[in-house]
Amino acid sequence: MTLPLLPITLVDVFGSSLMILFALLCVGLAVRLRRQDRDNLVWTYLLWFSYALAGFAISRAVGHITEHVSLVLDQGHTWKILKPYSGAINTISFVVVASITLFFERIWKIYQQIARDKLALEDTHRQLRYLNRHLEDLVAARTRELTHSESKYRRIFELSRDPILVADETGVLIDFNPSAMRLLAIDSESGPDRALSLPDLLQHPGDWDKLRGELLATGFINDEELELAGRARQSLNVLLSATRENTAENRTVRFHFLLKDISQRKAMTRQLLQADKLASIGQLAAGIAHEINNPLSIILGYTQLLIRSEDAATERYGDLRTIEKHARACKTIVEDLLKFSRSTQTRKEAGSLHQAVEEVVNVVRHHFELDNVMITCELDPAVPPMVIDKEKIEQVFMNLVMNAKQAIGKNGAIQVTSRFDPERKLVTVQVKDTGGGIEARHLPRIFDPFFTTKKTGEGTGLGLSVSYGIVQHHNGEILVASEPGTGSTFSVVLPVQQSELVVPQADLAVPQPESRKVGS
Amino acid sequence: MVRWLIRWLPTVWLLVSAQPAAAAQVHAAPEGLYAHQIGHLIFIVAMGILIYWLRHRRLTHHQGWRRLQYAALFFILWNADAGLAHFLESRPGLFTSLDLGTWQARLTAAPGREVPVAIYYLVKMDHLLCVPAIVFLYLALRELLRDGQSAAGEERPR
Repeated sequence: MTLPLLPITLVDVFGSSLMILFALLCVGLAVRLRRQDRDNLVWTYLLWFSYALAGFAISRAVGHITEHVSLVLDQGHTWKILKPYSGAINTISFVVVASITLFFERIWKIYQQIARDKLALEDTHRQLRYLNRHLEDLVAARTRELTHSESKYRRIFELSRDPILVADETGVLIDFNPSAMRLLAIDSESGPDRALSLPDLLQHPGDWDKLRGELLATGFINDEELELAGRARQSLNVLLSATRENTAENRTVRFHFLLKDISQRKAMTRQLLQADKLASIGQLAAGIAHEINNPLSIILGYTQLLIRSEDAATERYGDLRTIEKHARACKTIVEDLLKFSRSTQTRKEAGSLHQAVEEVVNVVRHHFELDNVMITCELDPAVPPMVIDKEKIEQVFMNLVMNAKQAIGKNGAIQVTSRFDPERKLVTVQVKDTGGGIEARHLPRIFDPFFTTKKTGEGTGLGLSVSYGIVQHHNGEILVASEPGTGSTFSVVLPVQQSELVVPQADLAVPQPESRKVGS
Repeated sequence: MVRWLIRWLPTVWLLVSAQPAAAAQVHAAPEGLYAHQIGHLIFIVAMGILIYWLRHRRLTHHQGWRRLQYAALFFILWNADAGLAHFLESRPGLFTSLDLGTWQARLTAAPGREVPVAIYYLVKMDHLLCVPAIVFLYLALRELLRDGQSAAGEERPR
C-alpha cells in the first residue's frame, strides 16, 4: 500500500501557519485582557498560559515548516542537525504549558480570596467614609433614640399606679417611683440618693431573708403577700412580685420589685367577715331573746301580782322586790339584744339630728365636768332634717359619749362634731375622745354582744352592739379609728332620706352580711 | 581576603582534584522520544485537571470558560494523536518514505502492516486537532475580554 504524503505535508504546513497565527492572536487577546484589569490575577494567569502555549505552538510550527522546507531544498542533513533541538524545545514547551495549567485551581482560589478581601475592604472603606461624613448626625440620631426610649420607660416607671422599687443585693433602694413614695411615706427630699433599705420597710424583718433567698435561688417571686410599714409605721398589706437582674458591667445583682397595695381589699374582707359574724350573732341573739322574753314577762307579771297582795313590811315583800328588780334587769338585756338584732319596733320620723346630739350632751355635760372632762360640740349647720328614730339615735350617742368618758376617766376632752356631705348625701357625726384608745387586738370584737374590757359588773358589753344595730337600722354605718394612747374616734354615718317621714314597723331582720361596718 | 580564601579554598581544591567517576549517566537515543511522550502524557493530565476544575467551579456556565474547556479537550485529543503518531513512527520496518521533498513524496507500507500505516497516515495530520484547540482558546479569550471582569467575577464573593 502506497499513500501520498502531499496531504500530510499540506495539512502540516497550513496547520503550522494557523497555529503561529492563532498563538500570536491569543497572546494579543491575553495582553488586552490583562490591561483591562491589571490587578486581576486570573487574567495574569491566562496571559502566562497564552505565552507558554504560543511558545509551544510557534516552536512546533517553526520546526515542522523548517522540516518541509529543508526537504524541499534538499537540505535533509541540516534538518537532521536541527531536529533534536526542535524536538527538545517542543517537549520543554508543552511541559511548561502543562505545568502552568496545573496552577489554575490555586490561582483561582487566590483570586477569590483577593476578591473577597477587596470587597470587604471596599465595604469597610465605604462604611468608614459614611461614618466619617455622618458621624455627628448618627450620634445625634442615636442620642435622640436613646432619649426617647429612656423617656418612654421613665414615663411608665413614673406614672405607674403600682409602686416599683429597685434595690441592690443588700436591699438598699436604688430607685423608686412616686407611687412607692406615696405608699411608703418616703418624702421627696429623701430621694434615691439617701440610703433607704427595703428590710427596714418590712413589718417583719425576717421576711427579707426569705425574699432574698428565693430571688437568688429562682430569680423571681410571684404575688407574695407581705406586710409593709407605711405612713407612721401603719401596716400595709401588699402583693409583691420581684425579679433578679444580673448586671453585666460590674457583675452585681439588682432586684426589681413591683408592689400592689391590697390593704383596702384586706380591710374590706375583714369588714365583710365582721358583718357576717355580727349577722350570725344577731340571728342567734334574736332567737334566744324571743324565747327568754315570754317566760321572763310571766315571771315579772306574777312577781308584781304577788307584791300587790303582800304587806310591804314583810321579809317576803323584800324578796319579791329583788326578784322583780333582777327580772327587769334581764328584760333590759333582752331588749338590748333585740335592739342589736334589729328585732325591736322602730318609729322613724322627721327630726333634727343635732337636737338629739345636743340633748345627750346637755344631759351628761355637768356630770362630766365634775371629773374635769370637757365636752364640746361643733355641729355643721348644713346638716338637714332627717328621718330618724330620735330616741334610739340618742341612745347611740349616749352610748358613745359614755364610752368616751369611761375611756378618759378623769381630765380629758370629748369632741362631738358633725358634717354634711351634700354630694353623697351623708351626715357624719364623730365622737372623739382623748382616752386610752383601743388595743388593735380588741378592735375586731368591740361590736360583739357582751364583749367588754370593763370589770365585771361595770358593763354588760351591749352598748356598742346596740348602737351598731340601731345605726344599721337607719341604713348607716358606725366606724372606729383608734390608736392606743391617743384616743378613739367613733363616726356615725347616716344617709339623708327626705322622702319618707314615718317608717313602718321594722321587720325582724338581722344585720345583713353586705352591710358595711368598719371595725378598725 | 584571607577569610574569603579560607572559605572557598577547600571547595576549589575539591573541584580541581576530582577524579573521573561513574556518577554521570549516559543518555541513549530513545530517551528523547520517551521524554517527549511523557511530556504528551503530562499535557493530557494537565488539560484533564483543567477541565475538572472548570466544571467543578461551575465556570463552564459562562461561554468564555466553556470554550476554554473545549480547547483543553482538543489539546487532549491532539496529545493522544501525536503520541500515537510518535509511537508508530518509531516502529522499525513499518513503512518506507520515498521521494521526500517532492510533490511525489509517498510512503509504502511494509507487507502486512497496512492497517498501522493507514492509522499512522491519519494521525499524522494532527493539525486537524491542534488547530481547533488553539482556535477555541482564541475564542475563549475573546469572550472573556468581551465580558471583562464579569466573566472572571462569576464566582466573585458578594
